[in-house]
Amino acid sequence: MQEVKRKYVIPGDIVAEGNLRPLVNVFKNGNSIVATRIGITESNKDGAKVIPLSGIYFPRANDIVVGKILDHSSLSWSVDINSCFAAHLPAQDIFGRDFSPAHDDMGRQLSTGDVIVARIAIFDRTRDPILTIQDKDLGKIPTGELIKISPTRVPRLIGKRGSMIQTIEQASSTRITIGQNGIIVVSGKDKDGITLAINAIHIVEVEAHTSNLTQRIRQLLNVPESEIESDDTQNSEASDTTIDEDEINSDNSDKEMRMINPNGTK
Amino acid sequence: MVQSKNLIDESGKRTDGRVIDELREVKIKVGLVKNADGSALIEFGKNKIIAAVYGPREVHPKHMALSDRCVVRCRYHMSPFSTDTRKSPAPSRRETEISKVIREALEPALILEDYPRAAIDVFIEVLQADGGSRCAGISAASVALADAGINMRDMVSACAAGKVDDKIVIDINDTEDKEGGADMPVAYMPNLKKITLLQLDGELNPNEFNTCLDEAVRGCLKVYEIQRSSLIEKYFGDEKEMKE
Amino acid sequence: MSMSKKSTVIVENIRKKQMRESISAGKRLDGRSLDEIRPIEIELDVIKKASGSAWVKLGNTEVVAGVKVETGEPFEGLENSGALIITAEVLPIASPHIEPGPPDEETIELARVVDRGVRESDMLDLSKLVLVPGKIVYTIFVDCSVINVDGNLLDATSYAVVCALASCKLPVFEIKDDKVVETGKTQEPPITTLPVSVTTVKIGDYLISDPSTEEEACMDARLTITTNSKGSIVAMQKGLKGYFSIEDVKSIADKAINKGEEIRGKIKGLINIG
Repeated sequence: MQEVKRKYVIPGDIVAEGNLRPLVNVFKNGNSIVATRIGITESNKDGAKVIPLSGIYFPRANDIVVGKILDHSSLSWSVDINSCFAAHLPAQDIFGRDFSPAHDDMGRQLSTGDVIVARIAIFDRTRDPILTIQDKDLGKIPTGELIKISPTRVPRLIGKRGSMIQTIEQASSTRITIGQNGIIVVSGKDKDGITLAINAIHIVEVEAHTSNLTQRIRQLLNVPESEIESDDTQNSEASDTTIDEDEINSDNSDKEMRMINPNGTK
Repeated sequence: MVQSKNLIDESGKRTDGRVIDELREVKIKVGLVKNADGSALIEFGKNKIIAAVYGPREVHPKHMALSDRCVVRCRYHMSPFSTDTRKSPAPSRRETEISKVIREALEPALILEDYPRAAIDVFIEVLQADGGSRCAGISAASVALADAGINMRDMVSACAAGKVDDKIVIDINDTEDKEGGADMPVAYMPNLKKITLLQLDGELNPNEFNTCLDEAVRGCLKVYEIQRSSLIEKYFGDEKEMKE
Repeated sequence: MSMSKKSTVIVENIRKKQMRESISAGKRLDGRSLDEIRPIEIELDVIKKASGSAWVKLGNTEVVAGVKVETGEPFEGLENSGALIITAEVLPIASPHIEPGPPDEETIELARVVDRGVRESDMLDLSKLVLVPGKIVYTIFVDCSVINVDGNLLDATSYAVVCALASCKLPVFEIKDDKVVETGKTQEPPITTLPVSVTTVKIGDYLISDPSTEEEACMDARLTITTNSKGSIVAMQKGLKGYFSIEDVKSIADKAINKGEEIRGKIKGLINIG
């Protein structure tokens, strides 16, 4: 395992000095790389970055988000995606190219307060995000418990290659849909299982930056060490550092890993 | 401005018992307002001020949005019970001006290009006013902005220096503000070493001005340490700071 | 700005459904029973520049009230009474749905309903706050700043006002050579009773007390009832477009009297008055 240097920073703190590449949540000031957020630094030969511990969700194309229908115009639904922009779901996404506001009743498909899981189809800095629900596992969510966590904790909740969320789902017999925007839906038949899953998610949120988190979650869920593929074992002895590499990395790299539906049906 | 010569006694103590380069007691609590994206309560002497940040969020009305960067809106407001004589709840001209200079003191630290077409709202409510409420408000707002996770180049720390009985002192209190010779609030980005707010009421000769500026910056650095530890405390609890 | 899209709280339909199911089973989403009031925390004398003050937390709803005392002319028609003025502002720090600006109709209703409870209960014996009959009286301001909104601002603000007033120390003014002078002394306020409001709302067929923001977004009608120390009803306000049956109203009144007495006990214990 490659050596990674970590420390706690607030905006303005120096993350690293020297000829390193500034990655995310940092900027270059002379010979220094400076933090722009509260968080934990990570610097290695590839560059330096800060894994943030607070902040809103900023949309990215292809992210999976859980949103709430606000209302609709004659051409699209406006959707609250817990971000600095409202997103739009075009009516054509549901009705197809033949959509006509005169013939198709948008309110019958989705109405105010409905919750959807959607993919951000288009987003750039010049316009509001456009959503689609035309993929597998996307669409209206009929039932489930809604939880809101800080979007900065989502990568940690997913875990390396989905390890954390799979652990929680298997042990609690629930299905957990995670939006990159921090909105999570937990569903399942067993009420106690849902409660257990929600507790585990809250612990991940609060203790995201602390060491041995996976172990504590396993204890809470009563999962024996051997049963699940551990993502901690590879490096648990490596250092006292808090986070497993990549686990709370908010780069694009782990994005396609899996945002929704865990139970390996893909 | 009428100057009285009894604000610092023979032993160098000020009206509230401080020495000339001593701050009043400062406490900052992060995250007090549960609905806000970021917030801080600052107690700076007798000042009791809450700063709350919402955003980046959608701009209403839409035409106020800027295509290449984020809009910052700031409101500095005093609760009617915050002052010795009751203040009318309607915003005064003084509050409007202070809102503007606070916004302009914070903006240099914010990386506004990262959030085009969005808005950041900074609300500062003075629950109890002492001297130096704008500086305390800026320092609290900067902590609230960091708590909200908005991209910042640096923190902003603020402190006034001024002239009392012909001596340069830091962190002017209410009495010194009203009866002293000069009051110069300064906001400062402590790592980038840049000044983002500078005002002066009163008269300073060039030497006094230079000393006053240096002292104000030293005051800002003291405030910065308190801002820093309040954030570390909230986010990392009592875990020791990790070493490199 | 109260009509803007931003100012409305939309509860997700799946959450609404859960709330209804849960309430029909006698339990609310936050675990409370239907008539259970959230924990009340009261801190007195938080604003030293005020003659009296209170920071009240009702669950996550937080309100600060401060008392300021001046002298002035009496109100017309009330020449032999001190003047009492209660205001409220829901600060923009308090919620993402509040825009800065002049108070909207809901905030004005809030201040007026709180004022009504204090005034109609004769909580303060205003006849004792006269300096020169018909000319100079004590003017007592109680200003409220809402710090965080999580439902039931009416009761939280009312508790803050009552606590700030009941615990205040009024400055003593005197007339000397036809001028008002502040003596530097203070006096106990002339408190006669402690008005306590209890708000109950209707969601579907069920009555629930002390609603949260989320519950308020689902309520059809609201009824606030203020009682005095004797357990008599002194002020009421029905709100919203829904309605109540006569049985509903009677049951809400019973609740307001019983729960009100509990809360009054708590306030009394804190302030040390009989």
